Amino acid sequence: MSKLSLDALSERITRTLAGYSSRRGVLARLGMAFVAAPLLPLLPLLPVARSAAAESAKTDFERRAQAKDANKCDYWRYCAIDGVLCGCCGGGVHTCPPGAEPSPISWIGTCLNPQDGRSYVIAYRDCCGKPICTAGKDCRCDAVDREMPTYRQSLNNDIIWCFGNAAAAYHCSTAALVGVTNPAEGGPAT
Amino acid sequence: MSPRARPRPTRRILPGAILCALLTPPCPAAPPEVIPSLPKPQADYLLNCGGCHGLNGLSNGRLVPDLQSQIGYFLRLHEGREYLVRLPNVAFSAMSDEELAAVLNFIVFQIGGTGVPGDAARYSAAEVAALRRRPLNEVSLTEYRGRLVETLIRRYGAPAGLRSYGNDRH
Repeated sequence: MSKLSLDALSERITRTLAGYSSRRGVLARLGMAFVAAPLLPLLPLLPVARSAAAESAKTDFERRAQAKDANKCDYWRYCAIDGVLCGCCGGGVHTCPPGAEPSPISWIGTCLNPQDGRSYVIAYRDCCGKPICTAGKDCRCDAVDREMPTYRQSLNNDIIWCFGNAAAAYHCSTAALVGVTNPAEGGPAT
Repeated sequence: MSPRARPRPTRRILPGAILCALLTPPCPAAPPEVIPSLPKPQADYLLNCGGCHGLNGLSNGRLVPDLQSQIGYFLRLHEGREYLVRLPNVAFSAMSDEELAAVLNFIVFQIGGTGVPGDAARYSAAEVAALRRRPLNEVSLTEYRGRLVETLIRRYGAPAGLRSYGNDRH
């Protein structure tokens, strides 16, 4: 009895399936799958996959960087700044406040501009000759993209670059835009 | 122009915009200011040397040797040519031999300028590869440089400014 009902059930399913599909349709889909299979490895070349890969290559700072407020630590040019933003102390992104002198020696690094996705060369110059600027905690930053330990001093951001100035007191930090790297020539060597 | 012939800007722009969105992720926005595009040797110079030596080869000349209008003179001496590559921070740089040769040529022939002998050859990657295997580890660099500088000033009329570095030792 149960066998009979199972037969009936199978028959009903098969007939329903047959009503909605055709042998040609099945063959067409199978054929499509065979043709498309070798193309699957090419999928990462699609723009969506490419931008996903670029996104995962970003540092934490680069993922949340913004290009609107230069007096916030997550402004894109501050990807490796360690200190008080001069913009919060009467200066600007690349200018010292009155009475402070820029350090001739600095650390130069690159930061990714979220507006155009290109790497810009940034010179982190300290402003020196005045006591440290007492700005709020939103202006005291410590970003570490591509920073190295102190045994690579030239790439370490804990160094007070005012040592080359007549008055070596540290006041605040700037991030001057020097230029943009050319991706066609390969990335810069660091 | 009849209403029918009027162009349909939206239809013309839209496919282009879609194509742009598909092909260039993401569509580049206009940069906020005009910023110079840096050739690779210059970008490498800035990132590996420019912090201390300055954007154009001038910094605090007492603490870091000036390069501008000075470094070219070193190529007048065979030992001076080798010295520039054998300096530990140059020899131990993270740059490849090719990249380092290009940066040295940028420094000597573009930043250095004055003082380079007319027949000076450019550094090749092979020359740099051989020299950086013999870094100046076992000498007093200030004295080594000072000796070269005195010869350059006496024999080749190099500027006395080359003496600035090393005269401020504490």
